[in-house]
Amino acid sequence: MKTHFRELSVAAAFLLVLLAMACFAPSFYHAQPLLSLATRESPTLLIACGMALVIICRQIDISVGSQFAICSVCSGLLAAMHWPLVLVLFASLGLGLALGALNGLLVAGLRLPSIVVTLATMVTWREALRWKRQGEFVNLPDGAQWFGLHQVQGQLMMVAMALTVLVLLALTTKHVAAGRFVYAVGSDAEAARLAGIRPQLVTFSVFAFMGALTGLAALINAVQSPQVDPKSGTGLELKAIAAVVVGGVAISGGRGSLWGAFVGLLLLACVSPALTHLHLPPYWERALQGAIILLAVVADGLRARRERFA
Amino acid sequence: MNAPKTSKSGAWKSIWLRHETVLFAILILEWLYFNSVGPRFGSLDNSCDILRHSVEIGLLALVMTPIILTGGIDLSVGAMLGLCAILFGKLWRDAHVSVWIAGLATLGIGGFCGALNASLITLLRLPPLIVTLGTFSLFRGLAEATTQGVDTFTGFPNFFLALGQSELVGLPAQAPLFVAVAVGIWLLVHRTTFGRSWRAIGFAPEGARYAGISVERRVGMTYVLAGIIAGLAAVIYTARLGQAKADAGTGYELFAITAVVLGGTSIFGGVGSVHGTLLGVAAIAVLSNGLVHARQPREVAGMLIGALLLAALTVSVLAKQFAARSKIGHARHST
Repeated sequence: MKTHFRELSVAAAFLLVLLAMACFAPSFYHAQPLLSLATRESPTLLIACGMALVIICRQIDISVGSQFAICSVCSGLLAAMHWPLVLVLFASLGLGLALGALNGLLVAGLRLPSIVVTLATMVTWREALRWKRQGEFVNLPDGAQWFGLHQVQGQLMMVAMALTVLVLLALTTKHVAAGRFVYAVGSDAEAARLAGIRPQLVTFSVFAFMGALTGLAALINAVQSPQVDPKSGTGLELKAIAAVVVGGVAISGGRGSLWGAFVGLLLLACVSPALTHLHLPPYWERALQGAIILLAVVADGLRARRERFA
Repeated sequence: MNAPKTSKSGAWKSIWLRHETVLFAILILEWLYFNSVGPRFGSLDNSCDILRHSVEIGLLALVMTPIILTGGIDLSVGAMLGLCAILFGKLWRDAHVSVWIAGLATLGIGGFCGALNASLITLLRLPPLIVTLGTFSLFRGLAEATTQGVDTFTGFPNFFLALGQSELVGLPAQAPLFVAVAVGIWLLVHRTTFGRSWRAIGFAPEGARYAGISVERRVGMTYVLAGIIAGLAAVIYTARLGQAKADAGTGYELFAITAVVLGGTSIFGGVGSVHGTLLGVAAIAVLSNGLVHARQPREVAGMLIGALLLAALTVSVLAKQFAARSKIGHARHST
């Protein structure tokens, strides 16, 4: 109970919102809109999982939005060339892995600060994509949308994929040595090195893994509509970081959990539909999300302060 | 060019001197190249144009420098500019305040936004990256909520638009303001004890505390200053474009940070200079304007800026490692 206090308090806030919706806007609980919401947010969940790992490793990756756009457009183009979807999936994963590995190489290999490296790659990839495609949409062939399944089946499959990745990663970071290495490097890279872990290798792998997850998320997002938007993924990095931080992952590394990132995302994602169902102006969404982030960090700060003075 | 006055050894000094000299050389090469390909590039008109379009980002980069010097970062300056522009328009149009008083009030609003960042960062000791990520969302969201997403403020009086669009003895009218802020911040960073203390805090916060510097107050000041100048940038932005919309200044924070880092300021704090930042702003502005004159697509400029940033960073990190290694070798020799 005490170890998961942070995650549980966010979950309590989320339940409170659900309860409020049950009282004031029961229309929120129709199955189809909820499933659509979950489908829309499942790429973000994948990105948030990767971001949680990156932040636990005491790094940050703000280039995921641009990587996401590149992977989306490329997988759309491959699908339009009538590649089988399984191959497109692997291509998207591989491309994301390569882009993430480049970040990892610069951060772990050259020891450059991750925020500046990913700032540079974010701008470079976004502009390169705009240059090559001039903002053109990609039309998906008939069989590609929802993986060629019925819409509801496709949606269920996507949500299931995202949740599977979440559960696997949460278990890995808790019980598998490789997962614990990420925490070790994030809390003290030097101590980790002395304990026989190779911090640079762990950092590199985390970035590469983040890239692969971005590739997967991009494909899941691309097949949700008949056209691929080359601007998709703009601001995605901030959304993911916000979810991770609200869920209690410390930006100073080594602390937090994947479940925290999950509940953080749930809380932030239900702001917009909640506003709609309560008939409030939707323009307050961004401001409310900002307020939630600030509230979460202020709570963290107050707790740390009490511990300092205690 | 003045080398920044660091109290460290001469080797350091020469490296940073080198960084800014290299950047200056790159800038001159850029200028010469674009002058040879674009016939209109070197004209006085175009130079004025470059200056006019880089004032707002330049102002944000200038105030970002002390923040990064102390080891912090501010992601919210672009959103702050947007919120200030909206509230400025609201004050003038809906509250019928005269433009100049509304402008002054906007500086105050910016200062208030900055003070919010400052108090969260210093009183609660929260990481600046996360606090300003939250206020980034908050300020942009408030701007969207105030305008309901659609409202645009236009129809400002001509004498106000002159601030952003007219010329003053051959220079853009906003240039004197920019120069004044640049000189002020240069003096503040390089010629006062305040500037020294920012550098000391970025270099070693605990050390600075033991040296008797009130770290919290000095760090807080940099964020308040950023807010006030973001307010000024909002007024100039509105005057230049003749309108204020909720998306004003989107992405400016990234350009500002890029310019500062390109100018040789370490993202970890403690090292850097204001003239380096100005060179960084100039390099970015000349590159994006020159490529248009060279009939290259605009996107290439963005790509090159990203690549330039990585290259500058790699060179400075490798130079630092090289210097550290030769220092160790030197020490071994002398013992």
